[in-house]
Amino acid sequence: MSQGSTQSLATSTANKKTKTGFFNKRNRSVWYLFGLLVIAIIIMSLLDDNFLTVGNIFNVLNQQSTLGIVTMGIAMAMIAGCLDLTVGNMLACVASIAAILLIRDISDSVVIVLACLAGLSFGFINGVIVTKSRIDSFIATLGLMSIYQGLALIIPQGNNIYLQGRFGSFGTTKVGGVVPLPVVYFVSVTILAYLVMRYTKYGRNLYVIGGNREAAYLAGISIERHRIIAYSVSGLLVGFTSLIVISRIGQSQPAMGVSYPLETIAAAVIGGVALNGGRGSIPGVFLGVILLGLIRNSLNLMRVPSFYQYVMLGAVVIIAVSLSNLGSFHRSGSNN
Amino acid sequence: MDRRQILSVQACSKAFPGVQAFDKVDFDLYEGEIHCVVGENGAGKSTFIKMLSGALRPDEGTITIDGNVYTFLTPSQAHELGITTIYQEISLAPDLTVAENIFVGREFTNRLGLVDYRRLNREARDLLNNLNIRLDVEALVDKLSVPERQSVQIAKAMAWQARVFILDEPTATYSSSEIDNLLALVRGIAETGVGIIYISHHLEEVFTIHDRITVLRDGKKVVTHTQNEVSEQQIISEMVGRDLSMFYTRERLAIDYDSVVRFEHFSGGVVKDVSLEIYKGEIVGLAGMVGSGRTDLARLIFGATRKVSGQVIRNEQPIDIANPGQAIKAGLSMLTEDRQKTGLILNQSIKWNVSIVHLANSNGAFINEKDEADNVLCCTQAINVKAQSIDQDAGSLSGGNQQKVVLAKWLYADSEIIIFDEPTRGIDIGSKEEIYKLMVELARQGKYILMLSSDMPELIAMCDRVLVMRRGEIVGRVNREELTEETILSYSIGGAL
Repeated sequence: MSQGSTQSLATSTANKKTKTGFFNKRNRSVWYLFGLLVIAIIIMSLLDDNFLTVGNIFNVLNQQSTLGIVTMGIAMAMIAGCLDLTVGNMLACVASIAAILLIRDISDSVVIVLACLAGLSFGFINGVIVTKSRIDSFIATLGLMSIYQGLALIIPQGNNIYLQGRFGSFGTTKVGGVVPLPVVYFVSVTILAYLVMRYTKYGRNLYVIGGNREAAYLAGISIERHRIIAYSVSGLLVGFTSLIVISRIGQSQPAMGVSYPLETIAAAVIGGVALNGGRGSIPGVFLGVILLGLIRNSLNLMRVPSFYQYVMLGAVVIIAVSLSNLGSFHRSGSNN
Repeated sequence: MDRRQILSVQACSKAFPGVQAFDKVDFDLYEGEIHCVVGENGAGKSTFIKMLSGALRPDEGTITIDGNVYTFLTPSQAHELGITTIYQEISLAPDLTVAENIFVGREFTNRLGLVDYRRLNREARDLLNNLNIRLDVEALVDKLSVPERQSVQIAKAMAWQARVFILDEPTATYSSSEIDNLLALVRGIAETGVGIIYISHHLEEVFTIHDRITVLRDGKKVVTHTQNEVSEQQIISEMVGRDLSMFYTRERLAIDYDSVVRFEHFSGGVVKDVSLEIYKGEIVGLAGMVGSGRTDLARLIFGATRKVSGQVIRNEQPIDIANPGQAIKAGLSMLTEDRQKTGLILNQSIKWNVSIVHLANSNGAFINEKDEADNVLCCTQAINVKAQSIDQDAGSLSGGNQQKVVLAKWLYADSEIIIFDEPTRGIDIGSKEEIYKLMVELARQGKYILMLSSDMPELIAMCDRVLVMRRGEIVGRVNREELTEETILSYSIGGAL
């Protein structure tokens, strides 16, 4: 073997450590996002004195925690090249199941387990249908979305189910009087997702599947199994989140979570997840969720009417996705 | 010859980075003539077709059509001038009828501006009758067999007043009666005055149908023969004949004939009941023209496509392989021919690309990042991948280095039986030699190696034995002593031996 070339990998052994640090190229988009977030915070705090208060920061985190937990599951599925539009209606479904169980005096811990299991099962079914039917996941979950929408009405017979004071602490307790419990859940789920995506073979394989399906298959990775698990995890997180939501608002509503499909995908894409899979990081997704929350919070603080907020949210999503597509277009261009 | 010349090409050349694909070629075609073009893989046939159909611009030379001189053609110009290429992949709309496909884009309309189906079908029927094609014009193309679709495509081109037909390997998947029908159809349209350029690997077809035969080799025209002046054997010797200096010289190793892997009775897709064996330390070549079923066989063995039958037997122990995962666990590796599409994740790092197979098939749920980096570095150094670091994107590497990354991935997997599909396609000489060296090293370690290649000098230089495939079957088994380009080619294009 000739070792003469200065470019030969042998010579790069020495600087291996520095390259794998936190500031390497692959983390660059996360740092951009972080910078953007800091700038947004500075601007907002100049515009509004109430913005940069501990109360408001935890308020934003708390508001985003439910969306954030669901987005972690969505991001994993998206990295494996799958979309999931069912999360919102599935959330309403599980919420009404949990609420019905709670008002029948089934103990909180049993309901928590059952709700998570229900979410897991729904997610598993999604995964099986998407992988076995070989329909594009967008279309398959679009159909499933309508099925869950129907179930969310059928299960509670179209009614809101009021918890009448039960189960309030699950989503409203403040740890140490300051940190809302949902924020703790959100941060824990984020850390877990990060560990899975970075340090487990399963997480790595999701990137590989999203990056090049055929190469993954020929490397002996079972694409179906990985994707079904990703959908199941996504469902589990939806089940868990539905508990936070009903605890917080004291009821289940059949129309809860309708904005989730758009918002979760938007947060993931803002966080650097590629729409067609293979790229994205959990810290990025976390920042994407927070950024989306800050935008909404600042619109609230500026007293922009909620009707207009929908318009602005849509605009933000389209801009973020088109920027991300521009990036990936550029990338694939430079590769060939 | 008193017929009028339709098309001629003067001193046409086309270079791609690192290869002169087409080198000062002259060619001409007369009305009503069937002019066959032969040459082995990479001789310049597809470059030629692309220049005539407007897909490629010649670097130099001219194309003359009906006395008008062009330095290049655009696709729409080629179309207007009546040059039609019939490719293997059929470009018809499956959900339209035969008649609709024939007249697509030029439907006859009635006074209301609606399609006049009666006229459409009548004209299509007349056209098919004239061409002696027996097909229901109202049948959906989707319901037709491949040869039937091809005749629809020919009819469509005739309806467009095509004057030059280019048929590129038209019979790749045909049975012998289907071939006869096609040849009759081609002869029929030639009689109407259309000029035909017929490109085929199958010499007996060429000999049945030709008026003239042009032989290409390494982008150059060797000779043009007129009818009946030449034997199949002579054509074959004209297609080969490379300079010996192009051949790599490898070290020959002792082969352990006591250990053997047998691949028995593999069938599926185009592959028909293929069996072969590889001994320990042996490099076995698999030759054959494009479409001969080489890659299909490799995919069947590796479990990547569903097989009808077939079993791998190592030292008398049968191994069940139903998918690539099982193949890898049983000790097989397969380096695919298309590194960009099926080998690499271009926008991920070298490290990730190299560790994929190992991680996916080893025990444990977690990744030890330090181990991973060390092992990847070790495997990439063994094959001398040139890069700044193993965190660099695989897509940013040169072709040769990308191929080495693919190789490093399978080295890390440490398999015993390794299938190389076109391991050196489109890469520089330096990388080629490094890959050859590594393959010999693997053979020395006692691996079983199957090497699929279109590059005959490479097969001859590297292999202890070469099997030749044709139409999904192994038609020749050549030992090293008899290994010449001529023998391989005779088998792969079906010449007389």
